[in-house]
Amino acid sequence: MSTVQQSPVRIRSARTAAAAVERARLALVPTRRTQAPRAPFAALVFVILGAGVVGLLMFNTHMQQASFYATQLQQRADRLEARSQSLDLQLDQLRDPQRLAEAGRKLGMVTPGVPAFVNLADGKVVGVPTPATPQDAMRTSPLPAQLPGFLNRKPLVIRVKAPVTPPTTATGNSAQTQTPNGTASTGTGAAADRKGAATASQGAAR
Amino acid sequence: MTQPHRPAARGRARSGQRSLRGSSELRLRTGLIVIAIALTFFGGRLFQLQGLDPKAYAARADAEGLVKVTLPATRGVITDRNGVPLAQTVSGRAIIADPQRTRKNAEQIARILANRLDLDYFDVLAGLRKTDKDGKPTVRFAYVARRIPAAAATAAVKAVEKAGYQGVDTQSDPLRDYPAHDVAANLIGFLDPDGKPLAGLELSFNKLLKGRDGKQTYEVGGGNRIPLGDESEVKPVNGRDLKLTLDRDVQFYAQRVLRTAVQNARAESGSAVAMDTRTGEILALADYPTFDANDPAAAAKDDRGSRALSNVYEPGSVEKVLTTSSLIDAGKVTPRTKIRIPHELPVLDRVIHDYFEHNNLRLTLAGVIAKSSNIGTVLAAEKFTHEQLWGYLDKFGLGHRSDIGLTGETRGLLPPVSTWTELTQATIAFGQGVSVNALQMAAAVNTVANGGEYIAPSLIEGRAKAGDGNEVGTDTTTRHRVVSPVAASKTASMMEMVTTEGAGTAPGAGILGYRVAGKTGTAQQVGKTCRCYDGSLAVSFAGFAPADNPRFTVYVVIQKPANGGSGGGTAGPVFRKILTYLLQKYAVQPTNTPPAALPIEW
Repeated sequence: MSTVQQSPVRIRSARTAAAAVERARLALVPTRRTQAPRAPFAALVFVILGAGVVGLLMFNTHMQQASFYATQLQQRADRLEARSQSLDLQLDQLRDPQRLAEAGRKLGMVTPGVPAFVNLADGKVVGVPTPATPQDAMRTSPLPAQLPGFLNRKPLVIRVKAPVTPPTTATGNSAQTQTPNGTASTGTGAAADRKGAATASQGAAR
Repeated sequence: MTQPHRPAARGRARSGQRSLRGSSELRLRTGLIVIAIALTFFGGRLFQLQGLDPKAYAARADAEGLVKVTLPATRGVITDRNGVPLAQTVSGRAIIADPQRTRKNAEQIARILANRLDLDYFDVLAGLRKTDKDGKPTVRFAYVARRIPAAAATAAVKAVEKAGYQGVDTQSDPLRDYPAHDVAANLIGFLDPDGKPLAGLELSFNKLLKGRDGKQTYEVGGGNRIPLGDESEVKPVNGRDLKLTLDRDVQFYAQRVLRTAVQNARAESGSAVAMDTRTGEILALADYPTFDANDPAAAAKDDRGSRALSNVYEPGSVEKVLTTSSLIDAGKVTPRTKIRIPHELPVLDRVIHDYFEHNNLRLTLAGVIAKSSNIGTVLAAEKFTHEQLWGYLDKFGLGHRSDIGLTGETRGLLPPVSTWTELTQATIAFGQGVSVNALQMAAAVNTVANGGEYIAPSLIEGRAKAGDGNEVGTDTTTRHRVVSPVAASKTASMMEMVTTEGAGTAPGAGILGYRVAGKTGTAQQVGKTCRCYDGSLAVSFAGFAPADNPRFTVYVVIQKPANGGSGGGTAGPVFRKILTYLLQKYAVQPTNTPPAALPIEW
């Protein structure tokens, strides 16, 4: 307190020094153990844990669902791809020159024998326009396959003398064809049956 | 106030812990024992799994849900010059069965499959009942049908499942489809049921077309991919497409016209070649007999290759075009050169005749070509030395492979000049004693059409590496001059006389309004066994149009006609039809120049 009166500067410095010393002196800091309430923390941990578990579960489920969806889409894409290809195949079949040639033939068309053009700019005809003839046609379909030689033998004809028979055998034959007439009519269609009956009766008449 | 309170609280806590610490040793030991027991179990199990039979377990783990798939590379498409597919791969499916499960209901399943897919019932039945070699029913996998369009296959299997039968499934099985069936089949070739190429371009360009398969592994649970599971993928590299110079429509038309002619002449076979004169691109290369590339097994083996390339024969009178154009180029003759033609001509120990009986004739060189006189050609060719004629024919490509990228092409035979005699030169001058294939001859005549410049024919657009390592295609084609443009155009004028009414041997090959140059050929053929002319013929016709500005060269040859046909009468109409079709399709207008009018006789 006495130093205060000596010089304001000194007094001040002394006071600050004392204060510094005072401050520098180690003192036991009261241990402030604030007893944080445990419940909120536990709740927080549980919430985080729960959220994590639920989130992971949802994430996994979502991924699984996405995978299902991807499988589904893949299957759909495969189906569509297959369909597109089968349509392409159909288109190719329709574009097949063989089919077109046959369709043209059915319409009575042939490939022209002499090329001729109409110049669209001035309407002039270039070349010698000549009507096509059946000779210009080509065979579009292959010839029917030939039987192999061993199956294609000429029929063996053996001439035998006609036996001298009484004329009754002829009528007997026609009678034979006539008799199954009734049974045959039940087997075949109605129209055929009428026709069959007619021819049979004709045969009988003859 | 709180300060004195605290130590007391701590003290109380400490005293509580101390009471627990009393049993810590016990706790520690108990824990240790429990852990040791557990670890012993783990260790034992680990030894059991890893020590005793690790591989089996690893394999079982892998097999569980791990799917390995080959990702098949799509085979390249073969298209014509306009991009129309001639051979393509579509996603087919194979129908597979587990015979252990299908055997019981095989009849019913087979009926459904056979009906829906148009298959043979008994083949299907055999697949469904497949047994192993000893006849034991242990087989668990069998192909029932292969290469079926995907949509049809899955629908059929669904139908089987719907009917309540199990054990049938489908599997990816790429299907090679040839949409135009027999069109260009001889060139394109085909694949066997396992996808291995057996012929044609499919074989020679297999490396390029097939690409490289990829593979994929992933884990599956309940039919779905497990996300984040083990997976790896090697992407497949698809095959490259191959574009041909062929025009499918021209090819089709040529094949049908050729077939009609061969059948009508009751001939053995026939070939037709159509080329773009200026580029040497092959627009059509038709063969008959041919086959359906979708069903190659139904055809004879000989019919599956290209006879236009493999068949060698003596070209006959068409060769006179090459001889006379060479003579004109060498300045030995002109189309108006006057030749006195005796009714027969002895050369060494043989006598050369013309195909028609005549007394002494007075023909010009143009007349010799128009009437196709052998004697006239021999007399004109006498102005050449052996080396000169051989040199020209060599440059025309005779005896050289055209190398268009197909295997099985023959070289033909131009006898080496050292073996030539006077008779050899005489017969070769009119096309006997020299062998060619149809494409060679077409390319040789095309040289005259193209103003005397030989162009190597090409079948592949752009460039592509064939199986033998050679690059072929329009980009790599070679050209070289054989005769001068003047000689070529003079020869073309002479050839025009062939199709001129009243002058030539084949007026039926002319096209009204167009100047058509052509040459007939009727050549005797050497028999397979006797090495002599056995009376069989090869009738041919070569030509181009318009004669003064050629665009297309067409060559037709028909082998061994049974009706005694001639080049003009049998091959001529085929030539005319194909050429007409080309001129019309590519809108080539008549040149409207006066036709050649060369004197025939003097």
